[in-house]
Amino acid sequence: MKFDNIIIGGGLSGLTCGIKLAEQGKKCAIVSSGQSAIHFFSGSFDLLGKANGEEVTNPLESMKSLPENHPYKRVGLDKIERLTNDALHLLVRSGLNLNGQADRNHYTLTPMGVMKPTWLTLSDFTSFDQKDSFPWKKAVILNFSGFLDFHTLFIKDGLKKFDVHAQIKTVSMKQFDAIRKNPSEMRSTNIAKEFDKENAIEEFAQKANVLSDGFDVVILPAVFGLFNKTIADKLKEKIEKPVLLLPAIPPSVPGIRTQITLRERFQELGGTYLLGDNVEEGVFENGRLLEIRTNNHGDIKFEADQFILASGSFYSKGIVATHDKLYEPIFGLDIDGDSNREKWFDEKIFNDQAFMHYGVKTDQKFRALMNGEPVENLYVAGSVLGGANPLKEGSGAGISLLTSLHAAEQILK
Amino acid sequence: MKKEIFEPYNVSDNNFEQCVKCTICTVYCPVLEVNPDYPGPKQSGPDGERMRLKDPEFYDEALKLCLNCKRCEVACPSGVKIGDIIQSARIKYSKSKPKLRDMILANTDIVGTMASTFAPIVNTAVALKPVRKVMDSVLKIDHHRMFPKYTGLRFETWYRRYAEKKQQEFKKHVSYFHGCYVNYNFPQQGKDLIKVMNAAGYGVHLLEKEKCCGVALISNGLIKQATKQAKHNVEAFKKSIVDKKMPVISTSSTCIFTIRDEYPHLLGVKNEEIRNDSELATRFLFRLIDEGKLNLVFKKNYKKRIAYHTPCHMEKLGWSIYSTSLLKMIPGVELVQLESQCCGIAGTYGFKKENYQTSQEVGKPLFDQIENSKVDFVATDCETCKWQIEMSTSSKVQHPISILAEAIDVESTMKLWQK
Amino acid sequence: MNKNRSKEYDVIIIGGGATGAGTARDCAMRGLSVLLVERHDFATGATGRNHGLLHSGARYAVTDHESAAECIEENMILRKIANHCIEENNGLFLTLPEDDIAFQSQFVDACSSAGISTEIIDPKLALRMEPSANPDIIGAVKVPDGSVDPFRLTMSNALDAKLKGADILTQHEVVDILKDQDRVNGVELFDHEKKEKAKYYGKIVCNAAGIWGHNIARFAGVNINMFPAKGSLLIFGHRVNKMVLNRCRKPANADILVPGDTICLIGTTSERIPIEEIDNMYVSKDDVDVLIREGVKLSPSLATTRILRAYAGVRPLVAADDDPSGRSISRGIVLMDHKERDGLEGFITITGGKLMTYRLMAEEATDLICKKLDVDKKCETANIPLPGSEKSDETLNNVSQKVYSINGITQKSAKDRHGSLAHKIAQGDENEDSMVCECEGVSIGEVKYAINELHVNNLIDLRRRTRVGMGTCQGELCACRAAGLLCESMEEPGKAKDDLANFLQERWKGMSPIAWGETINEIQFTSWIYEGIYGLKPDNN
Ligand SMILES: Cc1cc2nc3c(=O)[nH]c(=O)nc-3n(C[C@H](O)[C@H](O)[C@H](O)COP(=O)(O)OP(=O)(O)OC[C@H]3O[C@@H](n4cnc5c(N)ncnc54)[C@H](O)[C@@H]3O)c2cc1C
Ligand SMILES: Cc1cc2nc3c(=O)[nH]c(=O)nc-3n(C[C@H](O)[C@H](O)[C@H](O)COP(=O)(O)OP(=O)(O)OC[C@H]3O[C@@H](n4cnc5c(N)ncnc54)[C@H](O)[C@@H]3O)c2cc1C
Ligand code: SF4
Ligand code: SF4
Repeated sequence: MKFDNIIIGGGLSGLTCGIKLAEQGKKCAIVSSGQSAIHFFSGSFDLLGKANGEEVTNPLESMKSLPENHPYKRVGLDKIERLTNDALHLLVRSGLNLNGQADRNHYTLTPMGVMKPTWLTLSDFTSFDQKDSFPWKKAVILNFSGFLDFHTLFIKDGLKKFDVHAQIKTVSMKQFDAIRKNPSEMRSTNIAKEFDKENAIEEFAQKANVLSDGFDVVILPAVFGLFNKTIADKLKEKIEKPVLLLPAIPPSVPGIRTQITLRERFQELGGTYLLGDNVEEGVFENGRLLEIRTNNHGDIKFEADQFILASGSFYSKGIVATHDKLYEPIFGLDIDGDSNREKWFDEKIFNDQAFMHYGVKTDQKFRALMNGEPVENLYVAGSVLGGANPLKEGSGAGISLLTSLHAAEQILK
Repeated sequence: MKKEIFEPYNVSDNNFEQCVKCTICTVYCPVLEVNPDYPGPKQSGPDGERMRLKDPEFYDEALKLCLNCKRCEVACPSGVKIGDIIQSARIKYSKSKPKLRDMILANTDIVGTMASTFAPIVNTAVALKPVRKVMDSVLKIDHHRMFPKYTGLRFETWYRRYAEKKQQEFKKHVSYFHGCYVNYNFPQQGKDLIKVMNAAGYGVHLLEKEKCCGVALISNGLIKQATKQAKHNVEAFKKSIVDKKMPVISTSSTCIFTIRDEYPHLLGVKNEEIRNDSELATRFLFRLIDEGKLNLVFKKNYKKRIAYHTPCHMEKLGWSIYSTSLLKMIPGVELVQLESQCCGIAGTYGFKKENYQTSQEVGKPLFDQIENSKVDFVATDCETCKWQIEMSTSSKVQHPISILAEAIDVESTMKLWQK
Repeated sequence: MNKNRSKEYDVIIIGGGATGAGTARDCAMRGLSVLLVERHDFATGATGRNHGLLHSGARYAVTDHESAAECIEENMILRKIANHCIEENNGLFLTLPEDDIAFQSQFVDACSSAGISTEIIDPKLALRMEPSANPDIIGAVKVPDGSVDPFRLTMSNALDAKLKGADILTQHEVVDILKDQDRVNGVELFDHEKKEKAKYYGKIVCNAAGIWGHNIARFAGVNINMFPAKGSLLIFGHRVNKMVLNRCRKPANADILVPGDTICLIGTTSERIPIEEIDNMYVSKDDVDVLIREGVKLSPSLATTRILRAYAGVRPLVAADDDPSGRSISRGIVLMDHKERDGLEGFITITGGKLMTYRLMAEEATDLICKKLDVDKKCETANIPLPGSEKSDETLNNVSQKVYSINGITQKSAKDRHGSLAHKIAQGDENEDSMVCECEGVSIGEVKYAINELHVNNLIDLRRRTRVGMGTCQGELCACRAAGLLCESMEEPGKAKDDLANFLQERWKGMSPIAWGETINEIQFTSWIYEGIYGLKPDNN
């Protein structure tokens, strides 16, 4: 099967890359062994939240202080601003509604009740300009009875710091009776499926309106709109007070919707999305990757002019650790990381862990290195790249989006 | 580079331990969504397996509510074979004995042989109200179900009488695993396959003796018998593939999936020697075209708007791309790709009275999609999906091979390789 | 701030390990007024950091006849009085090709002279009984080994002591021993919760602080010759073996594989460490590598089983008083009457021994205490079952037999964990049945029961009572749910967040030495959830 470009990994980077290339008329395929990290998304795309231990207000400015091998630096700071715009437009064209800008972080409230800096936030969620003030004085935090994955007391505690008077109330809905009977299934995506059917939203809004009488804002878990893309807006219309949604324990309802939205965009552009298939190995000749073999397709080879590796970090098995080594499991590419496992970890879990920086080694053009030599037509993008701790920096989605767009541009050149 | 060089020592080999508890699988399980009595893929699969290893008493009969659709496996980012774990647990731990009804439903070939012999009688009988009542109340086969009609002239008989001789005229040959459905209920599909393969220059042969692939036996817990049939089939496939160098193709995604994957994973029947050369006809044809070894010529006047439904096992195999690619090659076809969703029948599952409601609720989103798609008909690779969709929607269903058979210009196609 | 409590107890017992809790129970059963103090939580010392092997005594038969005889006797008693804390798995002593098969007969003889029943088994049959054993074995002997859950065992003793009138203080550390000339008359405690000190008085102070007994003795001005021996272990993700597997040779590194609850444990290493390091229980890379290398010889499938954690404990070994070098270390029970030994009245030390001889240790200590107090009551702990092990309640047995029961996992797990006390856990109510921990099947009801009745101060305590966070995901999903519930009962959300952070840190401590394969994937995922999405920090206030 012949394509112009084949992308390994269907997460945020793979899809961004695929959409960009398909928009330019390329015949693309994405092969993904399973669902990706977008399924756990908080609802915000981070660009840079922290640099050198300091909280960042202007990511574009603060990027200058990052180390030289940081992916942003390797993309080139001269290109970054343009790429951030491209990324935003690509996401908007795909059908996502987003707020935020690259030269000034805004804040979102986490389920621990603290403000976190970020770049682009789905319009479901509320973006705050200030980190130390909260626009409302009296908040009602609503939870569904029996729902353990939303931590109302933590939120209430967090809001104390903003001098907000918060009260916790629970709502009972007979639509959830069935899932509540199952001890492992009163979870956010199952609640969302009930709301998706649209027959619960009216009743819920009525209850919420009664319970929020006398309060300025209604705080709810983000369980609205899994497959149904309009339900979150309907909810906000029907509730008389402003609604503040906060993430619950993953999987994330808005995250899954985001994944579906991007995947559909890619498919509408003619892209082929193969889920549940693992890329097993590649055939190389003269420093070029000719074709890849996958688990499902066996002897039917997948050929392309260029390939993009967007297979994610450890969590997605883009890189693998065993007791005595680190490796990239598909092609055996060079790894930027220490093979001595004693170097991987810090004994304090909240410290900067070395392994979070590990990834596949590339040349300046983001082409993968194999035995020290670049593979001419194999680009690397997203969290499979090393050189940064996206968790500590708050740069996860930013690195994925920008390095994928950068890779796509190299291909389109 | 070969993966073996890495030799991941002390990384778990126990597939269920790869689970990182992300809970994604439960989002995509069609049963969980409609039946809260089901513990869900994560609990039934990796979590439950660990408990069962502690104490088999943790086995829960509710696991039989699993459709074995494998949609959880497709979604899992960690490569956990959740469906296999659940089915294996049923095989290993279930104490409940299959009911008479389950035996009847499971033995598709024996029942088929009897039924097709007396086809007119059986067909009218199962359609009669009193008979259906008995089936419903005594056998617990849901009365809403229409039984597929049994044919009077079995495919095998037809083949021996009318087609066998002609197949020798070709230079290249394949074997055809037709499966029970083609044999007893819908020989036309087999005839269509022969038409298409002949056009492509291949003679089509039957296996020395094929037995039902056993998928229904497995899902109804008749494991001994399933294993026996699996062993028989693997031997029959070997005779074709290894001895005669003839690949085996099939038109049923479920049969081929069972033979390739469930035999080794669930029944422990080894199939390495035959696995690669056992596949679907659409994949076989696609490969020929992809490698430039075959060109198909289509009729000018074939114009249809068709929706393709991806059966669960095709989703798992990842092979719907072959069927849809072939359909897209037909100039007059406008293909609508339906969002991949389970139709709810899952073989014999939906025939059981206790599952009827679950089955229909699972399928509802798909039925809605179909009703809204305004197509001439639906295409799909699985016969049970066909029954379910035809029963539950106003749409007719055709197999991609039958569509090709209708759209192909046989003579022009043959000319291309004959010269 | 100094508070002085006026009540004088008959006995103050220091240390909430199995020995201390067992002694508290025994004393309370004999009618004494008891105060049990523990600096952290129950079973946070050696009791919670061992192998969980219910020794048949076979392991010591050749080298230490006395210990072996004690073990088998206690083994039979615990089967009766603590059946919900033990699993009667039986054990095999395997001879590998590299071991000397001649040792087998010496071993069998030694066992029978200690009263341990043995059965020599054909290796082929042994493999059928225990398919996970190394297929190359050349000999196998069956012995009545078992597994014991130290958390449950200690908790049941503490619970029973409390039911019989004992006062219990956890999070209270002894910082000094109070004396009136040659007589000990109380302890000074530091309350870690309230951050304040208080004095408590007792006629007798019993030092059951395990290896830390060394420090306690110092406070009293006496010296005990302790030799800390650190041992490391690995926890595997699921039960590989049904029977305990031992090497049939003289005790050495990593030669026992114990199945327990949902997991199995390989151990141990043994290394003398300086007394200053007894609170620093890291597991080195070399320890991990040795454990895997040797463990795989017992059961090859360990090489392909996920490792959940590594941890280490310190054995409280005592050298004979006339041997300061520690060459003649006893593994037996050490009971010291400091009146006899050092001329200090009102102070005794009970240490050494093993987890599984805790009851006997408690009996000996209590006999001495009673003698000193002139109380004449017989020990009954060998006959009266612990709470949870009373004749089991019929209704509970039906739980797993229901054909369709989506609550089956939580109900059966609760019964396995709490024995007959499981009836105290609300069931059949959707508000209580929902799962907090999906790996170990812990319901809201069980968490609430533990919080209300089992002395829980924080998430880590909760884990010891219920197995929340002990499964494959090591707290990834359940920690937050449990923190929410704990928070509800305590109404101190700020503290609960720090508690959650501490919990994750505690889990990480055991994961980091073995964080490769699935574990590194899992920890990356967990960190993203808590630090990334939730914005949790090590210090949240
Ligand atoms: C729990 C969690 C929450 C996060 N939340 C946020 C957030 O709120 N905001 C933010 O900015 N960032 C967040 N991140 C960071 C996130 O990692 C990145 O933002 C981004 O989603 C990474 O995208 P990716 O495409 O590079 O990798 P992934 O999303 O990991 O995708 C990699 C894909 O490759 C596939 N794959 C791997 N190997 C193969 C193979 N051999 N063959 C075929 N396919 C393969 C995998 O199945 C997977 O689908 C979060 C990360 C995690 C884990
Ligand atoms: C690696 C290893 C493996 C083992 N395997 C087994 C086995 O398989 N089977 C078996 O039977 N035995 C085994 N043992 C032995 C067994 O664990 C111990 O002998 C037994 O647990 C000791 O219990 P204890 O109550 O005496 O001491 P500990 O459990 O250590 O209890 C002492 C308690 O005192 C508390 N404390 C300390 N200082 C103070 C203070 N100042 N104030 C208040 N409280 C204080 C501590 O917090 C602790 O909780 C093993 C030991 C080790 C180290
Ligand atoms: S195989 Fe299908 S029905 Fe069974 S658990 Fe997986 S998704 Fe659910
Ligand atoms: S999707 Fe896979 S990794 Fe995630 S919970 Fe399900 S089985 Fe486990």
